[in-house]
Amino acid sequence: MVKKKGLQAALLALALTGGVFATAPAQAEGTLIVSSPQDPGSWDPIDTFLVNWASVSTNIYDGLTYRGPDAKLVPGLATSWDVSEDGKKIRFHLRENVTFHNGEPFNADAVKFTFDRLLGEEGAKGPQRSNYIAISSVDVIDDLTVDFNLTAPDPVLLTKLAGYGAMIVPPKYITEQGDDYFNVNPVGTGPFKFVSYEPKIGIKLEAFADHWGGAPKLSNLEYRFITEPATAVAELQAGRVDIVIPPTIPIGMIPTIEADDKLAVVSVASPTVVALRFNTANGITADEKVRKALILGVDREMIIQSILGGQASPIASFQGELSFGNDPDMVPLPYDPEQAMALLAEAGVAPGASLQIDIRGNDATFNEVVQAVASYLQVIGLNATIQPYETNVLLNDIIPTGKTGEMFQQSWGGWTLDYDNTAYSMYHSGEKWNPYDSDAELDALLESQRAITDQAKREEILKSIAHYTADRALEMPLYNLNAIFGVNKRVKNFEGVPDSRLRLTNVSVD
Amino acid sequence: MVGFLIKRFAQAVFVILAVTLIVAFAIRLTGDPALMLTQGSGSVTEADLVRIREALGLNQSFFAQYWGFLTGLVTLDFGRSFLGGTPVVKLVGAALPATLLLALASLVVSIAVSIPLGIQAAVSRGKWPDQMIRILSLVGLSFPNFWLAIMMVLLFSITLQWLPPSGMDGAMSFIMPALTMGIILTATNVRLVRTSMLETLQSQYIMVARAKGLSENVVLYKHALRNCAIPLITYFGLQFGALLGGIVVVERVFNWPGLGTLAFDAVGARDYPVLQAVITVLSLLIVAVNLLVDIAYGFIDPRVRTE
Repeated sequence: MVKKKGLQAALLALALTGGVFATAPAQAEGTLIVSSPQDPGSWDPIDTFLVNWASVSTNIYDGLTYRGPDAKLVPGLATSWDVSEDGKKIRFHLRENVTFHNGEPFNADAVKFTFDRLLGEEGAKGPQRSNYIAISSVDVIDDLTVDFNLTAPDPVLLTKLAGYGAMIVPPKYITEQGDDYFNVNPVGTGPFKFVSYEPKIGIKLEAFADHWGGAPKLSNLEYRFITEPATAVAELQAGRVDIVIPPTIPIGMIPTIEADDKLAVVSVASPTVVALRFNTANGITADEKVRKALILGVDREMIIQSILGGQASPIASFQGELSFGNDPDMVPLPYDPEQAMALLAEAGVAPGASLQIDIRGNDATFNEVVQAVASYLQVIGLNATIQPYETNVLLNDIIPTGKTGEMFQQSWGGWTLDYDNTAYSMYHSGEKWNPYDSDAELDALLESQRAITDQAKREEILKSIAHYTADRALEMPLYNLNAIFGVNKRVKNFEGVPDSRLRLTNVSVD
Repeated sequence: MVGFLIKRFAQAVFVILAVTLIVAFAIRLTGDPALMLTQGSGSVTEADLVRIREALGLNQSFFAQYWGFLTGLVTLDFGRSFLGGTPVVKLVGAALPATLLLALASLVVSIAVSIPLGIQAAVSRGKWPDQMIRILSLVGLSFPNFWLAIMMVLLFSITLQWLPPSGMDGAMSFIMPALTMGIILTATNVRLVRTSMLETLQSQYIMVARAKGLSENVVLYKHALRNCAIPLITYFGLQFGALLGGIVVVERVFNWPGLGTLAFDAVGARDYPVLQAVITVLSLLIVAVNLLVDIAYGFIDPRVRTE
């Protein structure tokens, strides 16, 4: 009797599941688990500047514009836009029939609400507002048209609308639920919708089948916050996470991943560039000839191959290959110790002259790099001493106040991938990161590209800035670091992104 | 007893004040949270930083900030995390049980292993089991716990695939973190049990007990163990404090969602409120455990009660 009941139940269950399979439409399936090194604490777009906010939230939210792994700007929630002659007004035409995950409609009011909030009192508490201050107001023209009025043209604004603080948020939901609730229960229009969040542990998302760009191929997307690289890689090896995203995997762990048949390393150029910048005001580096000699005297290619395991590319100016303003025809100065010594002699630098290199003491990889640099300098007759600082001390007390030695480490890279972001901060007179140099011609070039909206013309100016700074040898450009992903081979269609803005719509799992 | 409790409570208040004052002061020397929050943002101006500092309450004087922390403490309001604005009580509330469970599991592992081994070593003093146990304990002491943790992960999670490499997710996930902590503790505890037991076994009442013809197990576990329990309990109590300190490394390696991980992240992000809260809770715990140890004496040793 009991047995019969069991059989009935089994048959019933079979019938039920069979029924479900028969009636359900072909839909997304599979769960992908991502290991991310940091919990940003809040999913509100205006609260953060952590790249690991973006590696989750790029799936939850959309911006008016969108920029994928190819770094090309395409329409997002706006289908098109017109920029006025003077660059001070941008009219956006919005996508029709888009809804937020909670069913709220996306329209011009949502856009206005988003930017009023970002530029208003709520945004003032966070770090995002400063990126969008070119916007003076947003006017609703009709349900699907908005005007952005700008105080001054901002040539990078369209890019900035593709990420972070410019993500469009639902007005009714936030007004009703409040900011605190929204922080930990985010709602957007993106391809995945929020399911649950456990602070410091992880966040779970599921597919939003009604996304305007098409439904994701995965049914579920989970992120676990794992800070320790060895632990994240162990989880990857154990098959409990599918992707480990940057910045987690140190170069030294790449062989471990590559040795595992189930795993692969995906590595793409990141926005991060590293240079040893020069003190152009004091010491032997005040002389341009000496600066050139120092660059010529260091084999940067060899450093990339031997210390960085090839996980970086050489650079000719302080920007990577993806940067808007990078001139691919520009080649780095060659390694030429003889010419370097000749230049030093010409500049009257006696053999055995000393110089100091200031670095971040806790950056293990760079410590090795700088040792190599010092040995190369030894070869051309210079005595380099290395001065390590705690990162915050170097960044806040030493560099901005002009207390560095002859050379100092600087790592830089903004997600906008626009050279303006780097060049203006590094070279314009009076900027925080430019304690030593003042060059009226360079200032004029930097200012001129900010005022124009013609992107082709801007790119020309940015390229000429890159050439100008290389001619003056304002820094020793070292390399452009790669973003390193560890991926389980069961993950299909995965494409590494340079800037952590990871969108997993097209990814599937076996 | 009441006088004793009042004295201990006053001591506790003093400890908390001293510890939090030092922590609050020290973390403010390490850098500006406003700069940490805006790192990577190219266009941050001084005005932006001023705005953010104001929003975080960092524009007030140090003592005003510290006073705010103290008044909050009375109502268990630790403020909000600088990172994302989550109420700190929520974060600490979620992390505390994870840490306590792990500490408890480690202590249980350690006591369960070290007492029988320590007694065995004492009984067979100088013979091969004693030598063996002492060598093992020395080996255990010499292990750096992060190394042990990584080796266990390699063996049990990656090669054998028996246990999850990290996270707190069911009973299986406790095994490796508790063993890592437990082995190190066991190594010291075995030696302590052995020494303490050796002393006790010399006593006359043990001779009497044996003379009465009691079984060896009753002699060892009832008569001897109970009498050498006082130094052991004091030591286990003190150890609990050290355990909570050492847990930071183990929690990080096993990505354990406890106070250690929380403190570690908070230091990295200059998240003052979270760090202050974690340190306060840890100090409270240690004070409370020491108090419990003192009270426990009374139950074990009637002499303490009458004193």
